[in-house]
Amino acid sequence: MNIRKIITIVEEVVAEGGRPVEPAARIAVVAAVIDNPWHGHGFVDDLSDGIERTASELGALLAPRVVEALGSPVEAYGKAAIVGTDGEIEHGSALIHTLKFGDHFRTAARATTLLPAVEKRAVAGAVFDVPLKHITDATIRSHHQSVEVRIPDAPHPHEIVVGLVAAAQGRPQQRLAPLSTEQ
Amino acid sequence: MTATDTLAPRSFELFERSTLREFEEIGALIGLRSIITSTEELPSAGGEPALILRASAVAVIANPWIGTSTEFDLQPETVRIAPVLAKLLTDRLLDAVGGAQRVEAFGKAAVVGLDGELEHAGALIHTPYFGNLVREALGGTSILCFADGRAAPGGNIRVPLWHKTAASTRSHYQSLDVSLRDAPHTDEIAVIAAVSTGPRPHARIGDRATDLPVTSEILKGIAL
Repeated sequence: MNIRKIITIVEEVVAEGGRPVEPAARIAVVAAVIDNPWHGHGFVDDLSDGIERTASELGALLAPRVVEALGSPVEAYGKAAIVGTDGEIEHGSALIHTLKFGDHFRTAARATTLLPAVEKRAVAGAVFDVPLKHITDATIRSHHQSVEVRIPDAPHPHEIVVGLVAAAQGRPQQRLAPLSTEQ
Repeated sequence: MTATDTLAPRSFELFERSTLREFEEIGALIGLRSIITSTEELPSAGGEPALILRASAVAVIANPWIGTSTEFDLQPETVRIAPVLAKLLTDRLLDAVGGAQRVEAFGKAAVVGLDGELEHAGALIHTPYFGNLVREALGGTSILCFADGRAAPGGNIRVPLWHKTAASTRSHYQSLDVSLRDAPHTDEIAVIAAVSTGPRPHARIGDRATDLPVTSEILKGIAL
């Protein structure tokens, strides 16, 4: 796996809707910009070799970093794969939609649910929104949220951006009734 | 009306303590909404420490001068708010790159929302109440290079950096592309500080010490 750069973003929100948010709402993003393992090979029918060479190593790299960057227990999480314009969206999906990748994050965050994800193909510097849900119960409505990310100068056409996102809480000022109370 | 009109000022000790945590109260007193810290790491081979880290921190605050005229004295709020912004931002940059001894280049920027004046952005970064504190925290002596502007939320700003003690060091001329997602709202200001722990990757365009004398004389017979 060839990594060009790694991006870490920490967002701290202390006011929303004109009211204080205390403690600060924290969200962390860690993303690696890597060469697309299938670039230059035409249409590859069986992606398993590239998955085998890349997915677990990538998950093991990103998961501890995003938990450390958050600096608080993880309550919601999500993931992203943004494929450069020479690749297929399936290449990004191949790297993030395997247990080999996601289990590193589930273990580091003590999580049990499926990781919500965004997959898209885009030019360098494109904006993408990563969906997050609660780490043990995906129906907990207060934790449905998404975070906007843009990585300058990535992905190049032959690259893939793979990212993990962790939140220490639900939405700031969340106040929707729980799913279980709805008629 | 601002917080200072309605509340008696309180004194906070911020010289010794970190603002990485438990900054919510001081944040509220300067109208802070969010801080976003981004770090770009160019990895080296073989698990060695990162070659170069480049980091930016963006604080978004309520514009304390919304609704005031172009005659309004900006100094009191600058003196109150700008040092706290410098502290909040540099604490995060130093945490991101591992201390002032690792910082080699720095820069700053401010973007005011559409209901404010460009001068409001300048008031928060172009005075000693911000610049001197950023320079001191990052261990520099150079003047800080900068960008400023007025914009709708969701744009990007390219923040210039140069060497923190020798501004004309050509290898360290660089800039950081910083995202301003959801900021600044029309009544807000985004204030930014940025650092790099090294020069441009593969810098190789010489320096003042190696330049030959060049004037427009060369246009009289340029070899193409």
